Amino acid sequence: MFLRILDRLEEILIAGLMAAATLVIFISVVHRFGIGYRVLYPYLHDIHISWAQELAIYMLIWMAKFGAAYGVRTGIHVGVDVLINHLKPASRKLTILFGLFCGALFTAIVGTMGAKFVIGLYGTDQTTPDLEIPSWFVYLCIPLGSYLMCFRFLQVAWVFWKTDQLPHHDPGHVEGLPEDGHDKTLVGDHLQ
Amino acid sequence: MNAALIFGLLFGLMLTGMPISISLGLTVLAFLFTMTTVPITSVGLKLFTGLDNFGIMAIPFFILAGTFLTRGGVARRMIHFTTSLVSHWPGGLGLAGVASCAMFAAIAGSSVATVVAIGSILMPAMVEQGFPKRFGAGVISTSGALGILVPPSIILVLYGVSTNSSIGALFMAGIMPGVILAVMLAVVTWFIAWRNDYPRLPRASWSERFKAFREAIWGLMLVVIVLGGIYGGIFTPTEAAATAAVYAFFITVFVYKELKLTDVPKVLLNAASLSAMLLYIITNAVLFSFLMTSEQIPQAMAAWIVDRHLSLWMFLLVVNVILLMAGNVMDPSSILLIMAPILFPLATRIGVDPIHLGVLMAVNMEVGLCHPPVGLNLYVGSGIAKMGISEITIAVLPWLGAMLVFLAMVTYLPQMSLWLPHALGMH
Repeated sequence: MFLRILDRLEEILIAGLMAAATLVIFISVVHRFGIGYRVLYPYLHDIHISWAQELAIYMLIWMAKFGAAYGVRTGIHVGVDVLINHLKPASRKLTILFGLFCGALFTAIVGTMGAKFVIGLYGTDQTTPDLEIPSWFVYLCIPLGSYLMCFRFLQVAWVFWKTDQLPHHDPGHVEGLPEDGHDKTLVGDHLQ
Repeated sequence: MNAALIFGLLFGLMLTGMPISISLGLTVLAFLFTMTTVPITSVGLKLFTGLDNFGIMAIPFFILAGTFLTRGGVARRMIHFTTSLVSHWPGGLGLAGVASCAMFAAIAGSSVATVVAIGSILMPAMVEQGFPKRFGAGVISTSGALGILVPPSIILVLYGVSTNSSIGALFMAGIMPGVILAVMLAVVTWFIAWRNDYPRLPRASWSERFKAFREAIWGLMLVVIVLGGIYGGIFTPTEAAATAAVYAFFITVFVYKELKLTDVPKVLLNAASLSAMLLYIITNAVLFSFLMTSEQIPQAMAAWIVDRHLSLWMFLLVVNVILLMAGNVMDPSSILLIMAPILFPLATRIGVDPIHLGVLMAVNMEVGLCHPPVGLNLYVGSGIAKMGISEITIAVLPWLGAMLVFLAMVTYLPQMSLWLPHALGMH
C-alpha cells in the first residue's frame, strides 16, 4: 500500500515537473515575443520573468533526480550486457546482483554526501541568484533522489533474488502505435 | 598509469552489466577516496552543478517533442506525403522510407524514435505491397539513424554541452551531411529495388500530392520553427526545444486529434523517464571528465600524440576506429559523453575543427546503432518487423556499407560539415 502511493507520487512528480518546466520556458518565449509588439507592451513590461530560466533548470534537475529512481524501477538505465549474457545462469545472477548492489552503494554514498551538504547549507541564508529561494531547499533533491534511487536498487535486487525477474524497458514499444502495424490508410487514397 | 587504472576499473565495472552511469560514478568515487587529495565534498556539489546549465535542458525538451511526434500521427502524414511523391519509382516505398526518415529526423532528435515512428507504419505496408521483409527492415533501420545527424539531434546537443561548442553551429553542420547520407541510402535502395524488380506503385496525381503535403505541413513547420528560430537568433536551442514540445503537443492533440488529453500524462512520463536516464548519465559523465581533467589525462594523451608526430590523417583514423569499437559495447549517448571530453582537447591540439569532430562522432554513433551487438536500431527494427536479430543484421548490410563510405567522406572532407555553418557566419 505504502509502496503503491510512493510509486504514484514519483510518477506524478516527474511528469508534472516535465510539463511545468516546458510551460515555463514556453511562456517566457511568448512573453519576450509579445513585449516586442506595441499593443501588448504596456501589459507585459511590468511582468518580469527573468527567473524563468532558473526555475526551469531547477525543476528539470529535480525531475532528473527522481526520474533516475523511477528509471531503476522500470529498468531504463542502459548497461553493457554483452558479456553477462554469455555467462552461466548462476554466475549471471550473481554478477547482476553485484551490479545492483554497486548501484545501491553508489547512490547511498552520494545521498549521504548530498545530505551533509544540505545540512551545511541549512544554517546559512544563502539563496539562489534569481528566484532567491533558500539554496538548501534546491539542493535537497540530491539526498532525496539518491536515497530513493538506493531504495529502488535494493527493491529490484530483492525481486530479482526471489523471482529472477528484472524490470526491462523496450525502446521499440510505443503505446498507441499499431502493434501489428496494420495501417491501410497509409499508402494513400490513390492506391485504393 | 592512473589513466590505465581509471579505464581498467571503469571497463571492469561496466562489464558486470550495471548501468553505465553507475560505473562512471563508482570509478570516480573509488579513485577520489583512495588516490587523490581532491576534496570529496566537491563531488556532491558537482552532481547538482553538472546539470545547472541551460543548454543541457534542450535534451528533455527535444525528447518530449519527439515523444509527442512519435505517437501523434505526424509520421503517418509524412509517409503519406513522401509516398505520393516517389512511390512510382523502383523501390518506391523504400525511397519513401528514406525520405520520411530524413523528414522525421528533421523534427525529432533521436534515431530510435525515427525507426519506431516510420518503421511501425511503413514496414508492414511494404510487406503488404509485395516487398521482401528484409528489404523494408534494412531500409528503415539504417535510415532511422539519420535521426541523430539531421538537426535537431540529441547527440549533437550532448556534444555541444560537453565541449562547450555552439549547438546552433553543430545543428547547421549536420544538415549537409544528413542530406548527402539520405541521398546515398536512397541510391542503394533504388539500386537493390531496380536489380530485383520490386513492385512499383501507381503514380500519384499532383492534386493528391498537394493534398498530402497540406496534411503534412503541420509537422513540417517544426523544421522551420526549430532551425529557422535558432538560425534567425529568435531563440536559443533550449527555447526552440521547449517551443517545439508545446507545438508538438498542440498539433497532435488539437490539429491531428490522434492523442487524447488523457494520454498526455503517459507521454510526459515516458519522456521524463527517458530524459532522466540521459541526464543521470550526464551527471556522472561530468564527474568522470572532472576526474580526467584533474588527473590531466587528456593533456598527457595530447602530448603523447604530438611527440609521435601523428599526422591528422592517422589521428582521424584512430578516432574512428576507437569510436567504432566503442559502438560495439555501449550506447551512443554514453560513448559520446565519455569520449567527447577526452577527444576534444586532443583534436583542437592537432588542428581538427571542433564542429567537424562533433559531426564525425555523430556519424560514428550512427554506424554503431546499425550493427550488433548493441545497435539499438536493429533491435527496434527487428521488433517491428518480427525478424530475428541475425537476419536483420544481414538485411542492413548494403546500407551499412554505404554508411561506412559516408563515414570516410565525413572524416576526410571536413568542408562537407563546415561549409554551411561557415556560409551562415555561425562558426
